[in-house]
Amino acid sequence: MSPRERSNVFTGLGFTSLWIVGLSVFTAYPVFASLYYSFCDYSILKSAAWCGLDNYKELFQDDLFWKSLSNTLFFTVLSVPLGTVVALALAMLLNCEVRGKPIFRVLFYLPSIVPMVASSMLWLWIFNGEYGLLNAGLNPILHLFGKSAPAWLTDPTWAKPALILMSLWGTGNAMVIYLAGLQNVPKELYEAAEIDGARGWRRFWHVTLPMLSPVVYFNVLMGMIAALQIFTQAFIISDAANGATGTFDGAPGRSLLFYTIYLFTTAFHDLRMGYASAMAYVLFIIIAALSWLATYLSRNRMDY
Amino acid sequence: MRFLSALTPRWFCGALLLLTAAVSHARADVVGRDGKIHVTYWEKWVSFEGVAMQTVIDAFNASQDRIVVDYFPVSQIDHKTLIATAGGDPPDVAGLWVQNIATFADAEALWPLDEFIQSDGMTTEAWLARYYPIFAKICSYRGHVYAGISTPAVIAFNWNRTLFREAGLDPDRPPRNLAELEEFSRKLTKRNPKTGALTQVGFLPQEPGWWPWIFADWFGGELFDGHAITCGTDPHVLAMMKWVAGVSKTYGADDLQTFASGFSGQLLSAQSSFMNGKVAMVFAGVWMDNYIHQYKPGLDYAAGPWPEAAPGITDFAMAESDVLTIPRGAKNPHAAWEFIKYANTANLHAQSREQLQGIELTCFLQDKTSPLREWSPYFTQHHPHPFIKVFRALSASPHAVCVPQMGIWQEYHREFTAAFEDVRLLHKTPEQALQYCQARMSASWSQYLLSLERHHQISPQVPAPTP
Amino acid sequence: MPLRSPAARFIIYSLLVGASVLFVIPFVWLLATSVKPLEQTMTIPPTWIPRAYFTELAGRRVEVTLDFKQTLSGAVVKLASGEHAGETAFFSDAQLATAQPAPTTLYRVQPGWWHVTEKVDRRSGEQHPAWAFVPDSAVHTRIVFRWENYPDALSRLDGSGDDRAGIMSRHHVSFWRFLGNSLIICVFGVCGTVISNAIVAYGFARVRWRGRDAFFAITLATMMVPFPVLMVPLYSVFKTLGWIGTLLPLWAPSFFGSAFNIFLMRQFFIGIPEELSEAARIDGCSEWRIFWRIILPLSKPVLATVALFHFLYAWNDFMGPLLYLTRKETFPLSLALQSFQSQVGGVEWHHLMAASAVTTLPVILLFFFAQKTFIRGIATTGSKS
Repeated sequence: MSPRERSNVFTGLGFTSLWIVGLSVFTAYPVFASLYYSFCDYSILKSAAWCGLDNYKELFQDDLFWKSLSNTLFFTVLSVPLGTVVALALAMLLNCEVRGKPIFRVLFYLPSIVPMVASSMLWLWIFNGEYGLLNAGLNPILHLFGKSAPAWLTDPTWAKPALILMSLWGTGNAMVIYLAGLQNVPKELYEAAEIDGARGWRRFWHVTLPMLSPVVYFNVLMGMIAALQIFTQAFIISDAANGATGTFDGAPGRSLLFYTIYLFTTAFHDLRMGYASAMAYVLFIIIAALSWLATYLSRNRMDY
Repeated sequence: MRFLSALTPRWFCGALLLLTAAVSHARADVVGRDGKIHVTYWEKWVSFEGVAMQTVIDAFNASQDRIVVDYFPVSQIDHKTLIATAGGDPPDVAGLWVQNIATFADAEALWPLDEFIQSDGMTTEAWLARYYPIFAKICSYRGHVYAGISTPAVIAFNWNRTLFREAGLDPDRPPRNLAELEEFSRKLTKRNPKTGALTQVGFLPQEPGWWPWIFADWFGGELFDGHAITCGTDPHVLAMMKWVAGVSKTYGADDLQTFASGFSGQLLSAQSSFMNGKVAMVFAGVWMDNYIHQYKPGLDYAAGPWPEAAPGITDFAMAESDVLTIPRGAKNPHAAWEFIKYANTANLHAQSREQLQGIELTCFLQDKTSPLREWSPYFTQHHPHPFIKVFRALSASPHAVCVPQMGIWQEYHREFTAAFEDVRLLHKTPEQALQYCQARMSASWSQYLLSLERHHQISPQVPAPTP
Repeated sequence: MPLRSPAARFIIYSLLVGASVLFVIPFVWLLATSVKPLEQTMTIPPTWIPRAYFTELAGRRVEVTLDFKQTLSGAVVKLASGEHAGETAFFSDAQLATAQPAPTTLYRVQPGWWHVTEKVDRRSGEQHPAWAFVPDSAVHTRIVFRWENYPDALSRLDGSGDDRAGIMSRHHVSFWRFLGNSLIICVFGVCGTVISNAIVAYGFARVRWRGRDAFFAITLATMMVPFPVLMVPLYSVFKTLGWIGTLLPLWAPSFFGSAFNIFLMRQFFIGIPEELSEAARIDGCSEWRIFWRIILPLSKPVLATVALFHFLYAWNDFMGPLLYLTRKETFPLSLALQSFQSQVGGVEWHHLMAASAVTTLPVILLFFFAQKTFIRGIATTGSKS
């Protein structure tokens, strides 16, 4: 290396020195330590004792592992597409020449920045089986058919759908991104499509969507990764709506036992940190696989 | 953003100072600036029990000037203590439940009290001998003393004398054995003549619903024999479950469900089955008196010994306790021990209310028995609880039983309760429910033992011979 | 997209208005509940506008709660004998006909009359507040917003609402303490984030050095690591440092950079023309001076975006405080709000909503002051994948 290059390396390392420390201490060390712990019997109060693949073997026979995984997948598979559709639909509506666009944009966006704890309390109240706002509106209609509204957060069948509905309230973030993406679609393309006679749905399918696809793919991927790690709202709502016992077992009937919650209680309530690390790595592999899949698919589809 | 362009070294120093200030004030100071040692005591109580304990704390603080105990009410105290201990920031004294001792001790989250007892010139045997045997057992685990008692609870048989009278039974004579229990229960059960629905029941195994496992011990069995899970192998446990199923069949499981829906699990509230005369006989603790005073002061009830279920055992009893422990890593363990010692000794010559001290003061104010063998004259004669003698006799019983001391009790309790529910609701036969519980818990228990072996906390287990 | 026909305009506008109503109703409900008295939070159908009801009881005009409407005709009587002698009760006409001995009638009650109870402060300890049956016409009503719910809720954030014995008064944690903790985490976190990520991103964007791109690729890769993987060892690291139980784990790491912010800032720095740096280098400026004097002042938009996002993230953060904090006096607002609701006994919805509204308010205010930064920031992050 020439002296110039060497001086550049020192400068570069100097500027990135903070990150070198941060990366090593707060990311690299934990990533490798976690892998090691996943092969150990580790509770932080006792030193780690090697146990090979025992944690992983136990994991695959653990009912609660599969239950939490299925709960999480159910939530992800429903909330991500629905959220995308809602966000896209709102963005498309706003993309029309409407008056008062800033006001609408604010109204749709605001819920997505409300602190999740406050949001959880609010929806806890809205979904209340007896006095909640939602049932106050649903019950009169359903009574006409001789049915009554579900108890939402205390009913194992309806607790996850309730959380999915709640997640739709926060799609404003994605909507803003899609709106920006829509506004970047060159007008010439639309004009060309019109000349070719494409209108409405066909124009959407053949012009808008392909132009938006990189943005959509990125956001769907990010949304999926976030949904797979759902924690705060489920943690708070499950306990609060079902007797506040402090057991965090995914009440009602374990329907709200999501993967990260099971991981957290295993690590910090049962102090089985080796087992929890094994769970964390399984999640890592799932996310890595999904990310690779999404990127692979998007590479085939993106065409411009 | 103008500050950025105006940034000079002065600003940097100022920011740095601010940062240091933030860092150094980040942790609460435990060793006080007033020259005294501050002991942090986390406890679960907020209401009358908390007031009682605060009185004892105030007395302790006033009795010497080296140590000051600070009482902090904390919710979910078992979780919080475990996490705090794991994080290296535990309280000095943690008020846990007896069922936490085995789990926490195995997790190495507790500081054994042996060294403190010995440094005071006592042997652990002498220390434990001051308690009734069952409470001595509660305080110790695997040969070490891990806890002191904050407030004990003994469970007795309670019955509603008014309902007894109405049914033509002698209000001062409780049933003496299972047969009489069933007979009295029949007489005390009433149904609505028009709808056939239950309006009053003599005895329900599902009330209060917090310790279904105790019935197994009551019948002479055990859920854990010290080495292995026995819920599915012990014939007495099976006999007990069959009895429970029998009760449900007699009254009708659906009828019972409807009947119990208004009060299930709420023995200590305004909806209480016992206090509202819905259930005439129930097992409840020495604490029941407090709640009756609060919700139904006029209730004419009595407490007495457990009916005989296991042949020959007429003095069966159940004991629980809230305990005081020192988490591992506590900053002031010696001062913590001083407080625990104070709260577990008493002035055994107390002749007046002012002379009550330590555990007797706590238990007097909380309307409970004292776990010590000896009681002071004032405590014995002027105790506010109307049935204190009954509870004292039960405490002293050689057949008193407490929670099995095993590290995975939380899980076992959950599984056994689920099995109990399945049998009670007639969803499974007793054999099925117990076999399921046995299988799951045996697997869990082996895993747990394996983990302890790996950490050299127990010697490698010889696998039990398969029958 | 231009809207050609009136039909299209109508459909689009109604969809937009309908959707915005759906999105806004929860907010309105939050605010409405927060200013109601407790009994009006639990009514079917729901009450939207809180009211106060007044009537004359025992010669005084008092505030009352409307409990239920009587459907039978009868009378309020004074019992002459039996267990409850001397007490007043309602007897329907059917009961009056058969009651022995006949109690004294105080006044008649018609169907449709309201049973009202005097509103007394729960803490005054009054066990038997005055009650009566009054006709509809005797009840006067006024719209009253119970703003006192807000200070009440905030003073009870530490859970002392349940504490009748006053035990916790020795350890009362005020709302300002919780707010202060939140602000410490957010403000220090923002400082650390802005400073450290700007410096690091400069190193990745404006300095050419061997290994830079490989290092950056590794940085990007770390964005894919989910937090649960880091959770346990991080906890162990903080325990060794003695930081568990303090606020440090929540803001100190931000002084050492984060992959996402490095990425964002690098994108921006790359867009600044290289000629500016070159000119400065020719003049003999060190890289640090170039960074400090030239690049940084030009980077206000991205600095604002990063600061804003981190503030939001830190204000919102629940899992971090849950992991590292056990003592109530160290809780930020997010954790205080959660433990506030998990108190034993019925949930006081009006207080919970008031406290939730207060936690949300700063974020909403921040949004209105920094709207452009928000929108621009999100649009940028979303588009650059």
